[in-house]
Amino acid sequence: MGKKRTVGFSRFSEVQTAWLFMAPGLLLLALFTFWPIIFSLPLAFTNYSVIGETSFVGLDNFKRAFSDVDFIASIKNSLLYMIIVPFIQIISILMAILVNQKIAGIKFFRTAYYIPVVTSMVAVAIIWGWLMSSNGVLNYLLMSVGLLDEKINWLSDKDTALWALMFITLWKGLGYYMMIYLAGLQAVPTDCIEAAKIDGASNFQIIRKIILPLLKPYIFFCTLISLMAAIRVFDEVFVLTSGGPGNATLTSSVYIYQQGFEQFEFGYSSALGLIVSFIIMFFSIFIFVFNKKGGVNPY
Amino acid sequence: MKNTNQLKRIISKFFVYVLLIIFAIFMMGPFLWLLSVSLMPGKNIFAFPPAILPTFIDFKNYLEVWEYMDFLKYIWNTVIITFLGVTLSLLFSALTAYPLAIFKFKGRNFIFLLLVSTMIIPAAAGLVVNYLTINSMGLINTFTGVVLPTLVSVFNVFLFRQAFMGIPTDIRDSGKMDGASEFRIWGQLMMPMIKPAVAVVGLFEFMANWNSFLWPIIVLNTEKYPLASALSFLNGQFSYNFGWIAAGTVISVLPIIFVFLFTQKYYMEGISGAVKG
Repeated sequence: MGKKRTVGFSRFSEVQTAWLFMAPGLLLLALFTFWPIIFSLPLAFTNYSVIGETSFVGLDNFKRAFSDVDFIASIKNSLLYMIIVPFIQIISILMAILVNQKIAGIKFFRTAYYIPVVTSMVAVAIIWGWLMSSNGVLNYLLMSVGLLDEKINWLSDKDTALWALMFITLWKGLGYYMMIYLAGLQAVPTDCIEAAKIDGASNFQIIRKIILPLLKPYIFFCTLISLMAAIRVFDEVFVLTSGGPGNATLTSSVYIYQQGFEQFEFGYSSALGLIVSFIIMFFSIFIFVFNKKGGVNPY
Repeated sequence: MKNTNQLKRIISKFFVYVLLIIFAIFMMGPFLWLLSVSLMPGKNIFAFPPAILPTFIDFKNYLEVWEYMDFLKYIWNTVIITFLGVTLSLLFSALTAYPLAIFKFKGRNFIFLLLVSTMIIPAAAGLVVNYLTINSMGLINTFTGVVLPTLVSVFNVFLFRQAFMGIPTDIRDSGKMDGASEFRIWGQLMMPMIKPAVAVVGLFEFMANWNSFLWPIIVLNTEKYPLASALSFLNGQFSYNFGWIAAGTVISVLPIIFVFLFTQKYYMEGISGAVKG
């Protein structure tokens, strides 16, 4: 083996080889990840749009953003969306503990819980859109068990629409986080739990004193991922409500999209993107610092 | 004493199954209902009380929507997009991650930090500029234009870097002793050792590409739409024909569920490998 010399990298130094390896990836990232960031900076200070001449407008876009009722509402909705993060962790940890047992049919349950994750958001949105309509199955079930007195049109009532969307996001994501926690649980040494059982620890004690501390790095990881996903939420809102009724479910990503691709105000849309990036940056720094203090690395 | 212990175990097992089944109904119920709606032609799902179980089973919706929508074309579009997206992103992400994990060179940490920092940008913010870029490259209405911006995800580079870092350094050294080029070491020694990570990234990319709908809608014309985009189009056009939409949704969901069922073994192994790192 190895007699035939492959043409290429052996002629290069280690540093050159490194750059050769990274070149295609970095080039693509430069073009489609860094370039948008760099380009949207100057764009944010112009009135660039499909129609009319482009000119420099200074801070006008930013001034406009902070007095734009819809934009402020969208930020508020995006922040409110983060409420689902702790619920995702609690329910998916519970699910992971349930499916971590060696009992008959457990593979079926793991698969069943994961199927919403692999399904497209369009399909999920269609199903839940029907289930949650005023004559839908959800109202029927809730009313027949007496939990609800009158029909609610969950997705078009401005008091419930955002909560309904948050519920769908939660439902679709649970399986994903369950799987990560399951991976974490399988790394927990079983003799540790056996020993605790012999010493007479209750299930609740085992979960609190052994499982949760060992899951800590996974909890950080999942919290970070789900928080970012919550602030950036787009698909389900776009398909189900497009931000309505009024601006009750308008999230920042949807608003940025609308300004860019429906109003064709590229300059203003870029400015909004920058503002939201700063908000996300603030939260991620917060989590990273929090994570450092906990002394655990999610990886 | 023994009997009460056994009884306890049976009760707790029963309790576990009850919980498992409750969650299963919660997670799968909506899909089962969708299936049921798709098999009831002519039923109005908004009649109250709503029809939940089919009183008869009929595949008419499937035949009609299949004829109307030309699903084979959309499935084919999706297959091309997914194939390009998965293979190329595995290749580019693994190539990028390798030196970041294994080599020692100036600027390594800087590049890594630069990559991680991009994870905070909201997706919608880059959309406009990416559209302009794809447009100026003349790639509007091409599959290349759909996959190109998604090929290297920082998240994948991250996972691959983590996996490469877990490989003992002697392996690369022994490859070098045998006179293998760095590229061969990467392809023939290292890649086989991070198979679980490849499985996870591959499946994540599969899902992302198969289900993507927004970017394809922006870049492509309707006849080149992948399944998810076509489905949202169908939903907009025929919002009153529930049976059709239900059947169309089932058709669009089935392929990816099958792929998941056949690959889930590797996937589960991979996830634990990738997150543990």
